[in-house]
Amino acid sequence: MSMTDQTPTTDSATRYAILVCVDGSDDSTRALRYAVRIGSGNDADLTLLYVRPVDQGMRTGGLQLSVARENMLEWGLELPGMKTLKKHRDMLVELGWLGEDWQEEFRHTDVSGDPLGDNAIVYRNDSGRSITLKLMVSPSIVHGILDESESSNYDLTIVPKPADPDGVLPGELTTRIAETVAVEHPGTVLVTQSLEENHGHLVCVSNNDNSIQAARRDAEVASRCACPVYLFAVAAEEGERAEAEVAIAAATEAIGELGINVSGAKVAIGDPVETIVDEGKNYSVIVMSASRQKAGWRRFFTTSVAYKVLEKAHNSVMIAR
Amino acid sequence: MWNRGGSDVGQKHIPSLSTIARAPQRAFGQARRSDTVRGLAFFFWDKRWFFIALAVGAVIMQLPTPEGLTPAGQIVLAMSVISVILFVTEPVPLPTVALMIIVGQVLLLGIDSTTVARSLMSDSVLFIMGSLMLAVAIVKQKLDKRIAFLIVQFTGTKTVNICVGISLVCGVLASVVGEHTVAAMMLPVAITLITLTSDDPRQVRRLAAVLLFSISYGCSIAGIGTPSGGARNAIMIGYWKEFFFDPTNPETRKYIIDYVSWVLYCYPVFLAQLPFVTAILFFTFKPEYKTMSRAVVKLRQQIAAEGPMKARDWLVVAVFGVVLVGWVGYSDALGLGIVAVLGAIAFLVIGLVRWEEINTGVNWGVVLLYAAAISLGVQMKDTGAALWVANSFLAVLKPLSIESGPALYTAVSVLTTAVTNTMSNGAAVAVLGPINLKLAVAANESPLLIGYITAVSSAFAYLTVIGTPACTIVYSSGYLKTTDFLVVGYRMVIMSTLVLLVAATLYWPLLGL
Repeated sequence: MSMTDQTPTTDSATRYAILVCVDGSDDSTRALRYAVRIGSGNDADLTLLYVRPVDQGMRTGGLQLSVARENMLEWGLELPGMKTLKKHRDMLVELGWLGEDWQEEFRHTDVSGDPLGDNAIVYRNDSGRSITLKLMVSPSIVHGILDESESSNYDLTIVPKPADPDGVLPGELTTRIAETVAVEHPGTVLVTQSLEENHGHLVCVSNNDNSIQAARRDAEVASRCACPVYLFAVAAEEGERAEAEVAIAAATEAIGELGINVSGAKVAIGDPVETIVDEGKNYSVIVMSASRQKAGWRRFFTTSVAYKVLEKAHNSVMIAR
Repeated sequence: MWNRGGSDVGQKHIPSLSTIARAPQRAFGQARRSDTVRGLAFFFWDKRWFFIALAVGAVIMQLPTPEGLTPAGQIVLAMSVISVILFVTEPVPLPTVALMIIVGQVLLLGIDSTTVARSLMSDSVLFIMGSLMLAVAIVKQKLDKRIAFLIVQFTGTKTVNICVGISLVCGVLASVVGEHTVAAMMLPVAITLITLTSDDPRQVRRLAAVLLFSISYGCSIAGIGTPSGGARNAIMIGYWKEFFFDPTNPETRKYIIDYVSWVLYCYPVFLAQLPFVTAILFFTFKPEYKTMSRAVVKLRQQIAAEGPMKARDWLVVAVFGVVLVGWVGYSDALGLGIVAVLGAIAFLVIGLVRWEEINTGVNWGVVLLYAAAISLGVQMKDTGAALWVANSFLAVLKPLSIESGPALYTAVSVLTTAVTNTMSNGAAVAVLGPINLKLAVAANESPLLIGYITAVSSAFAYLTVIGTPACTIVYSSGYLKTTDFLVVGYRMVIMSTLVLLVAATLYWPLLGL
């Protein structure tokens, strides 16, 4: 066991870093499969994150919950989330992503407010590729995911958005959590929902730099998993069709500069949100762009098409930043 | 190196609490606070209830003083409202509320700081402190496996019998040592049974619910059985003495409630509820497994490896037995608190527990919180605020023909149940106790009877995770949903309220109330 800080190495700073939030559900299993697909190749690092709600000492009548927690550990019982991480680790082994020759390193971070803190195991192979299983503690799952996202620079964060049952177990991801992370997150977030692979990415573009940059960013992600890219622009009325076509052309050119082919492009007339949600049904992922500048307050004031699509879509949505 | 499917990512990697001091540090939200603008936005959003509470308090203090309420009473009322909002919403650590109450009494009421400091310590607070130290000492003795052995020895392998056994044993223990102690000890037993039945939590969802709720509700219904069962009981005993006992008037001697008197009134209420707990749990959850043969056999094997009771185990039982004798026989003369503290001293002197273990196992902020809440409760009485609220509440109830008798008992019970489900039961009694006792005076009812109803009803916090310490502890297992507490909790509330009303109207009068 060793204790080290979490400063990324120079090597790891240049690698493609993917964060997958897991909770043991079928949705998180599908999300992990997709992450594995995106991370195929030797230049990607994968982090599996389970956020454990903090043990509430003040709620237990003055007896610290750590006393009960320690008692459970001494019985050989695990912290909540450990089973989930092990299950997903076994899945990575089955998929051939994790080999027996990988080196293992244990990391612990003290967390004020919870004596057991954050714990992680990092598996690393000879070429420097790493897989991290992280059990994090936080007052809320959203805060935990955002803290992790901001403390390490992930290129892509994947959050499953399950159909909410009647109530959730502690540590389970919900629609609200997934949507809040997507809104508050400073980077690119893929919110997976009923994720079906092999149907390609529907990249929605409009005639501005942000949107074109987002299209480029997604094209990079899509090329990693050999997913076809389709461009889609929506004009509110016929008079705006030309502008939509300009956006398609600009995005096609930008993506082409990366050496990636666009598999198809389409312009539609109608309400942007409804049209995108309807068209998006036929694809694995709907890709939308969002502005970084609105971070913080946008949750309360936003009327963005991207967030409305995120709320209404029946399948996965990527908010590219 | 790792082994697929092995336990190497498991508990062995969780460091012991004493070995992690050199690890890197992280505070919640550290990364997000690095951005000043976003940090400020989150700060105000996170603390919104703090500012709302202060604003509400300020408005109450600025309003014209109502008839029958003194200006000081109005300030205390504002402080109480602020405290309740902060207790429920928790925008700041709860001990901060305690500190605000202390400072508020000096700055807003003009009370001398030494007087305020004195009001913080009473036998009730000593009891809370002593019983928490005892709780840590007892949990550290690893008697849980002995208790688990007893349960599975007598209950056999049927799920229903195991649940009855768990509720009974948890209840009997929680009635004397406090529910958090028992819940902390019994949680591993239940989780071991669950995990030995199935590794997949989704396959044993309903089984987990009946086993875990058997612990928490077994503890909850028993916590009112004896004065040492919970802080709320000690607080109510303290209020009776503070509010009604006059050393110059022998008739008020009845307001000094000893251990045995409390047991006579309340233990039958616990026993009467016991059979209903398992019935309600099985009716609600219908567990997937009717028998747990495989799990019980494995558990027996695990426990058998411990061997027979050792000298240290017997010593623990003996020390606690002496404490129990002290509570039953001498709490009248010494006070519950002194006996509890003596017990903690005995555990420390004999070396059964280290001070460091007690120091880290007890949340001292809770002691401070109860001390401040009781101090505020006494101010509610002294300034007349409690009587004014009681009269106002009675005025609301009168048009509904709720003035006395079972109707008033029901109203008091429902009010207490509503409040206790939003905050700890001790805090609920600390806040509502003065009001309900003055309500009894205003309605010509016995303060003892209304006090018992308040204390017992404060245990009906079945609806929320935060209602009782036992509920919070079993929820930490990760097997229960917050909605589970609602689904089964309302049935428990109805059952417990009915049992309480029967006791208040038929049984307690037989004892002279």
